[in-house]
Amino acid sequence: MIPKLAPIKSKILKSATFKSRYDLPLHQSAGTSFLMLLVGLMTFLALMAITATFILGGVAQHWSAGLENKMTVEIPALKSDETLRNKSEINDLEEEIKASLQDNPNIELLEILQEDEITKLISPWLGDDVALDEIPLPGLISVHLHIRDDVKLRQIQNTLKNIAPDIRLDTHENWLGDILRLAGTLQISSLLVTLIILATTVTAIAGAVRSRMAEHRADIELLHLMGASDLYITKQLQRHAIILTLKGCLAGVAFGMFILLGLALLNNQSENSMLPELSLSMIEIFALLMLPAALGAIASQTARMTVLRVLRGMP
Amino acid sequence: MIKFEHVGLRYGIGPEVLADVSFTLEPGSFHFLSGPSGAGKTSLLSLLYLGRKPTRGLVGMFGQNINALNREQLCALRQKIGVVFQEFRLLEHLSTFDNVALPMRIAGHAEAEVKSNVDELLEWVGLGDYKEALPMTLSGGQQQRVAIARAVIARPKLLLADEPTGNLDDNIGFRLMHLFEQLNRMGTTIVIATHSQSIMDKFGHPRLMLDGGHLHVQDSDNWVQKNIEGVY
Repeated sequence: MIPKLAPIKSKILKSATFKSRYDLPLHQSAGTSFLMLLVGLMTFLALMAITATFILGGVAQHWSAGLENKMTVEIPALKSDETLRNKSEINDLEEEIKASLQDNPNIELLEILQEDEITKLISPWLGDDVALDEIPLPGLISVHLHIRDDVKLRQIQNTLKNIAPDIRLDTHENWLGDILRLAGTLQISSLLVTLIILATTVTAIAGAVRSRMAEHRADIELLHLMGASDLYITKQLQRHAIILTLKGCLAGVAFGMFILLGLALLNNQSENSMLPELSLSMIEIFALLMLPAALGAIASQTARMTVLRVLRGMP
Repeated sequence: MIKFEHVGLRYGIGPEVLADVSFTLEPGSFHFLSGPSGAGKTSLLSLLYLGRKPTRGLVGMFGQNINALNREQLCALRQKIGVVFQEFRLLEHLSTFDNVALPMRIAGHAEAEVKSNVDELLEWVGLGDYKEALPMTLSGGQQQRVAIARAVIARPKLLLADEPTGNLDDNIGFRLMHLFEQLNRMGTTIVIATHSQSIMDKFGHPRLMLDGGHLHVQDSDNWVQKNIEGVY
């Protein structure tokens, strides 16, 4: 270690005591700073995984909520006889559809998409410099329903078929279902990663506690011989594990929040992004900030159970 | 107070290091425990300070059969016993004060009471100026006094000492023995394991002689044995 850092490290480790005294010299144990570093890294990874879970959940909800009562009437540019519809034909059909549906009481809003809006929709795939005149574009009408209902949807579909049999009503179910399934799978994967990180942290803490107990076995036996109960000894190791975990956690959360803030800023700067907005609710941010407390509690119980199990094997 | 009946002890599947040991120690008695190296003195002491349980026989302490006690009950019983280990076994990271205070803190005494008792005892054993000293900075004799102070701070009913004069010259050894006699007069039962013939001769307390794991009780010429009941 760099000599100048030694007193700082010693000070940090010594401050791992609420009081200035440990009956067992736990703060002098080898690997104490390594455990803090490990917990810090695990916390950082857990924070990222949980954030991903939250964001994916938010995105899926946003998409499904946004499209739940929305659908699109599509007038294909290519007719069933393989000939193209010209713009005026499409415009006439759009007007006819509008006239037929606008009195439907279940339709909240009906809006014919203009060329510039269609350009906006396709620009992420084809770029901004597309010459729309060279591409046969369908006519699109956005429809907002009051209530999504199969019977009412069939009524709309029948009305459209009477106007032209090849007009389609896209309820977004297929691709929305795929997207939601993908988002759900990613969410479960993130949760699994979080659980694996937590299990690794628990294993690391249990290992560190066992190692401390092996290192100080003679001192622990001495405390026992002086009448110290298992609980008395457990409290010492438990307190040590909680403090180290909290320190590692706080560092991990601080670093994680810094990275998340950076990512959010980068995301906000990019224009025309296909990525959803990376934002967290106050409850989600609170949950992330509670991560140290949760890990502290896990560390506490892990240390307690480990110590009691090891002590049962001692006289 | 302490009753051993046909007690045997073996480590693992090895031979018995203590065989059929029976004796009774009455409250307030003072005994030497002696015998050649490897006779089983440390093993007998470990049974007395409840560091292990016998592999056979009955050990009764303070009116309780230790084989029938659970871990918590054993802890409570251990708080009545003070031990001076041959190698002192001080906690190296704790100051003299904290080492001596340990049994009281374990027993849950208030910090003010701990401070007052420890300060008083450290003055009494001549270590009042070394409260903050770490064990490694103390001489062998000073460390021994810390170990003794730690053993007696919680006013144990039974004090066990393993070769407490082993590393000391005769003069300091005798002074230490006088300290133990003082504690004994205050009602503490004392068992001292020692090789020192001169100490045993000078103080003349009854002797528990171990040889090959078997216990023999010897009266002293100067001491009327009233406290030993054995099958020998």
